[in-house]
Amino acid sequence: MDYLVVFLVLVVFLQTRVTDLKRAVICLASQSVIIAIACFVIGFSHGNDIHAVMPGVLTIIVKVIFIPGAVYRLVKKLKNEREIVSASNVNYSTMAAALFLVMGYALVERLMPGSVGRDIVAASILMIMTGLSLMVLRKRAIIQICGLITLENGIYLLGLLMTEGLPLVVELGVFLDVLIAVVVLVILTSRMRLSFMTTDTSVMKKLKG
Amino acid sequence: MNLEIRELIYIILALPLVFSAISAANFLGRNILHWLNRLVATGVGAAIVMLLMTFDAYIPFAGQYIYLDALSMWMLIIIGTLYLAFAWTSKAYLDRDTNKRYGYLRRFGYLEGRFYALSHIFVWIMFLVVLVNNLGLMWVTIEATTLVSALLVAFKFTRTSLEATWKYVMVCTVGICLALLGTIIVYYIQLTTMGSDSPLNWLYMVEHSKNIDPVMAKFAFCFLFVGYGTKIGLAPMHAWLPDAHSEAPALTSGLLSGSLCICAIYVLIRNIVILMPSIGIDFISGLCLFFGIFTIAVAVPFVVVQRDIKRMLAYSSMENFGLMVAGLGLFVPIAAQAMLLHMFNHALVKYSLFYTAGTIMEEYGTKNMMRIHGMMVQVPRTACFLLLSIVAILGMPPFGVFFSKFYMIYGFFTAEHPWLGVITLVLLAGMLIGILYHILRMLGGQSKKKSSGELFGVIDSLTIAGLLIFSGIASAGLSDITVLNRLLEAAAKIVLGGVA
Repeated sequence: MDYLVVFLVLVVFLQTRVTDLKRAVICLASQSVIIAIACFVIGFSHGNDIHAVMPGVLTIIVKVIFIPGAVYRLVKKLKNEREIVSASNVNYSTMAAALFLVMGYALVERLMPGSVGRDIVAASILMIMTGLSLMVLRKRAIIQICGLITLENGIYLLGLLMTEGLPLVVELGVFLDVLIAVVVLVILTSRMRLSFMTTDTSVMKKLKG
Repeated sequence: MNLEIRELIYIILALPLVFSAISAANFLGRNILHWLNRLVATGVGAAIVMLLMTFDAYIPFAGQYIYLDALSMWMLIIIGTLYLAFAWTSKAYLDRDTNKRYGYLRRFGYLEGRFYALSHIFVWIMFLVVLVNNLGLMWVTIEATTLVSALLVAFKFTRTSLEATWKYVMVCTVGICLALLGTIIVYYIQLTTMGSDSPLNWLYMVEHSKNIDPVMAKFAFCFLFVGYGTKIGLAPMHAWLPDAHSEAPALTSGLLSGSLCICAIYVLIRNIVILMPSIGIDFISGLCLFFGIFTIAVAVPFVVVQRDIKRMLAYSSMENFGLMVAGLGLFVPIAAQAMLLHMFNHALVKYSLFYTAGTIMEEYGTKNMMRIHGMMVQVPRTACFLLLSIVAILGMPPFGVFFSKFYMIYGFFTAEHPWLGVITLVLLAGMLIGILYHILRMLGGQSKKKSSGELFGVIDSLTIAGLLIFSGIASAGLSDITVLNRLLEAAAKIVLGGVA
């Protein structure tokens, strides 16, 4: 489990560094793989029934295969588009992630000193906050989608640790919602490419006040 | 015909789903589609009326996944009424869109089926929100409403609607994800204090909510409040609301404003009822009052400087949601009843307003209120409906909103928050001046821009008039309509959670 957390933190930091869209999607997929392994580890430590396997299998199907696949297909179409992005935001989001990691550990120490899943809680706080910062600081639509999934993964990991997963029906519903959310966002992004010739969200600033 | 509650609920949940599947398959002719749409909605409406007659407000109905009590019945009535209104105005709206200047649908006839499919699915999910018995499933359905309505907001895929939808999905999904965190913490509380029986079941949790750890409960409540507050459109998190409401097709704006945001309030209420005994009223009441009144205060200046008519209506919705949340935070019976009544009145009146605004946009080919004058002369029927609905939403008698706003202000004074009541009154007066200034300019004066003639038909005029009259009669004669009165009292009791 310790190795998983180390890898997870590493992948999240990588996620903030990447500017190439394809690599960002691969990063997202590997992050979900780690979450899936964590699901299996936590699931099998509490029993061998279907509820132990289900979250891991669903994570693999939805978050490792389907979501990165859909986003990757979209990214392949985005070849000749206008590039407005600047590199300075990358450093900000990495720095923010480092801050969030420290903040996560400080928060865990304050709230529940000496608990077992300390590292996992800190990692999930890191993921939640980094996801948010990716959505706020970055302008590319694809990176924002990656941020959203990172945020969702973080909340999911925290839930997994606290409650060993939600009730089965709710769990299925959550996965369905994430799936539909990504489909909707992919539709919107491809439409954005058609009407704005770019997926940079900073061109959309007509609606104010 | 004597149907049981269970069968009626199945009918309500089955019909819209079947119809949206049919219209998505898109093999029916246009006329049959329109009539089938009306038939389905009328069928659902009839089922809801029968449900109201067979259902006793004080005896909740609990199934395996379904739970129906007075509060969900009240929400069902609101959503059902809007569903009926949607079905009976949709043909006029879509026909206009196929013929007149902005004829987007003229080139894409098949989109009509898709519009119907999405709208009915949207209403169906809102029915689910108020009928499920499980806090987790409530979260799932609220998130699903965001996603389905996002496709409706972006229905025409114009540049501005794409921008609005992107903001809508991003802001609301982040908010709702925080609510998921809150729900997970509630589940954690349940696991540690009540064991793992009937996970997240609302009824079970209410019965066992006495010995919850207050610190954890407060923690959960903060996440839930921020999360569902985003969806309601409370002030610091409201960035998506005016954009989405103004860029969506008029019918969708009506449904969004009238029923979606109050569904979020409903889910928040369900969570509050569970957490209230351990947190205590003061904390919840303080947060609700502060953010409610803050939302009204933020909305007022934006209304005054607004030029886009649908944006102005969106800010007016924000004002009303703020008022509802503040009314929820008072925790006195009169304010709770007034809040529920206000949900009903606001939904009906706001739907007719958005529909009228959509008609005006077609008639004048612009959303800019500064370029529309002399409506009284050019389009008398539309002008009449605009004036009536505006007067209604601003809370003047004899319309329904007057009663609910009046009771709400009365609630402020009985709950010993007189100063907050005064502040709210001042803000509402500001709202009234701002909106009336714009609307009276539109109605009177010499027109520089030619309109394309009166577009209000017979059926939609009757529907809109019906909405206004229904809201007025139901609120004014509430004490004489036993069924509704009893239902409202029982629902308010659920909102207060047996506290007051």
